[in-house]
Amino acid sequence: VIMECYSEQTCALAVDGELAADEAQRLRDHLTTCARCRALVDALRAENRVLSESLNELPEEAVSQAGFSPQRWSWGWGDLAIMAAVLVLGSIISRWFNELSIPAALEWFNPFSLSGRTNLIFNLSYDFAQGGTAMLADYAAVVGWICLLSLLGGSALLLGRRAWLRRGGMRLLIMLIALSLPSFALERRHGDFVTVAANETVDDTLLASANTVRVEGIVNGDLLAFGRTVEVRGTVKGDLISCAQRTEVTGTVEGHIYTITHSLDLEGQLGHSIYGLVQSLHVDDRGRVGESIVVAGGDVSLEGIVQRSVNIFTSNGDVSGSIGRDLTMAGRNLTLTNTARVGGNLSARVRRLKEVHIADGATIVGKRDIQLRVRESHFTSPRFYFHQAVWLAGAMLVGWLGLLLFPGFFQATTQLVGSGWRSLGVGVGILAGVPVAMVVAAITLVGFPVSLMLLAVYLAAIYLAKVWVGAFVGRILLKPSGATKGDWLLGLLVGLLILTIVGFIPYLGGLVHFGVVCLGLGAFTGQLYRASRPVMTA
Amino acid sequence: MDAKRDMANGPQLRESGTRQMEGLDLESVIARARGHDAEALGEIYRRYARRVFGLCRYMLDSMESAEDATSDVFLKLQRSIESYDSSVPFPRWLLRVAGNQCVDALRRRHRGQRAIAEVEDGAAVIETASSEPSPLGAVISLEERAKVRDTIARLPENYRVPLVLRYYSELSYDEIAQQLNLERNYVAALIFRAKQELRRRLPHRSK
Repeated sequence: VIMECYSEQTCALAVDGELAADEAQRLRDHLTTCARCRALVDALRAENRVLSESLNELPEEAVSQAGFSPQRWSWGWGDLAIMAAVLVLGSIISRWFNELSIPAALEWFNPFSLSGRTNLIFNLSYDFAQGGTAMLADYAAVVGWICLLSLLGGSALLLGRRAWLRRGGMRLLIMLIALSLPSFALERRHGDFVTVAANETVDDTLLASANTVRVEGIVNGDLLAFGRTVEVRGTVKGDLISCAQRTEVTGTVEGHIYTITHSLDLEGQLGHSIYGLVQSLHVDDRGRVGESIVVAGGDVSLEGIVQRSVNIFTSNGDVSGSIGRDLTMAGRNLTLTNTARVGGNLSARVRRLKEVHIADGATIVGKRDIQLRVRESHFTSPRFYFHQAVWLAGAMLVGWLGLLLFPGFFQATTQLVGSGWRSLGVGVGILAGVPVAMVVAAITLVGFPVSLMLLAVYLAAIYLAKVWVGAFVGRILLKPSGATKGDWLLGLLVGLLILTIVGFIPYLGGLVHFGVVCLGLGAFTGQLYRASRPVMTA
Repeated sequence: MDAKRDMANGPQLRESGTRQMEGLDLESVIARARGHDAEALGEIYRRYARRVFGLCRYMLDSMESAEDATSDVFLKLQRSIESYDSSVPFPRWLLRVAGNQCVDALRRRHRGQRAIAEVEDGAAVIETASSEPSPLGAVISLEERAKVRDTIARLPENYRVPLVLRYYSELSYDEIAQQLNLERNYVAALIFRAKQELRRRLPHRSK
């Protein structure tokens, strides 16, 4: 009997063992007589072997994956390329920023210039002293919003690429590193007595730390001075940044003065503004400020000329010189003598009206606005509730995003809050220690970018502290049976509501606030520590 | 509590536990894993992660999604292992689970539709033109096998997935059909065509 040959597909089915038994038998019978089909079946069988062998020899990437280190993240070429690209972009952008002719008034706002950076730090310390923790919390909220916005933007960009999102934190870190890398040249001097002699010129930024820092010559860059006494008799072409007991400028500073000092005496010329925390600020009648003064401190006496506005938050303000624009003060005491001249408005906020003395001879071109500081309850204004609602929504959104991106980390941190005193203790230490570490890092200047990054993480953590503690409180109250994300978020909502309400109880609220921040920070640190350990051991 | 958290962070190995487990036979490891023993689950992970990852890597198109799918398989193992009855060998069962996970991932990407859609009608009927390239001959060298692998990885999804399920996971046509929610005949056709496409793409070699 001559049988018709089988099709290749049938043979393939047979080789795969997928042919029905009777048909398979018929095929086998046929093979005994048909050399052509036999060859085909043999070839197909060989092909199958090729396929399984090839597939089973896993590609190299899979082999390297086989060890599956607990840290799944490894540096691939792609990551390196991205980092390089970001570095290049970062330096280009920072160049561009520096060369961009930003209006001088906004220059301090430019985070890529040195003055911008120092300003950032300065403003923070200034505001910290002014508004205390409330201010810090606001800053943290700002950082929170920035994080939120970048997270949202990032999520939108990476939508559908979940794996990338998981590495979001890493990318952010790389970005931060890359952006803060462009560094600057500087000269360092330290000793008991650091002086730039009258005939000497320092071309770079000068970082001086000494008992007495005296500049009689010229510093072409900025002067960063830390010491007991800082005296500028010569010229500083850049900014003067001082942290000293006494700062005295009899020469010229062409940039700004940023200072934390017990007493600042300006008898010379200042090109731009003074920003400072000063116990006593004295602008001598020979002194001249090219722009503005923004200081908080004890006593301020202005005898010289300020071209633009003056903002002082002080206990005593004496003005006998000339102010080009507005004078704004908040404090206890304000005196304007006969020789005083205010080119713009005068606004003062004082406790008692009789603490304001304005001599008849004093000139005030604009309006006089003197207000009594009366503490009024903010609970009556609808804006307050709106603000709270927005805050709550923001915190919920941040919590949700955090849970989405780092589910394990967020939930574990929430649990760690439960370790109570330990978290609290660690948190107090971190809250106090990190600023010190930041200052140390910033002073060494090599660590400037590090300190900025630390600051960002610190503020973000302060913001998130409330989220973690809120989630924890909610968990305790609701006692959800499961541990789903929904439960966590519901807990967060309840917890945040409670924390917010408790926060408004006078005195106790502040204490609770502080406790929450410490607890959250402690839990965060604890979880960071845990997560950084390569092998989990119970 | 701690064991749970460890699992939540991804199956991680404990140095001491691993050594203890290494000698155990598969059955007792599985038995202990069913009792939610984190160490046993870790051991299963250690033994089969590579194989599972290999499947995911073939089925899905990016390293990241393959990693995700792999960790999902092992994360769910804690629960899914309860449904394992020793009627099939464990590795095979595990690969079937992993295959399902990948198909789910593919389906998600295709917005809820079937992972592999039946594109044409009557696809099961295949005409064998005489000009079709002949089956691949034995491949001996490492490089040649790597080339075969690369070519498979570059096949269109509807060819690649059934092919990998058949020759890597070693599933039957019925099992593949079930996973992909397709007719058995169609699976057979896809596998057949996949091979032909593969032959076409691989440089012609003398047998």
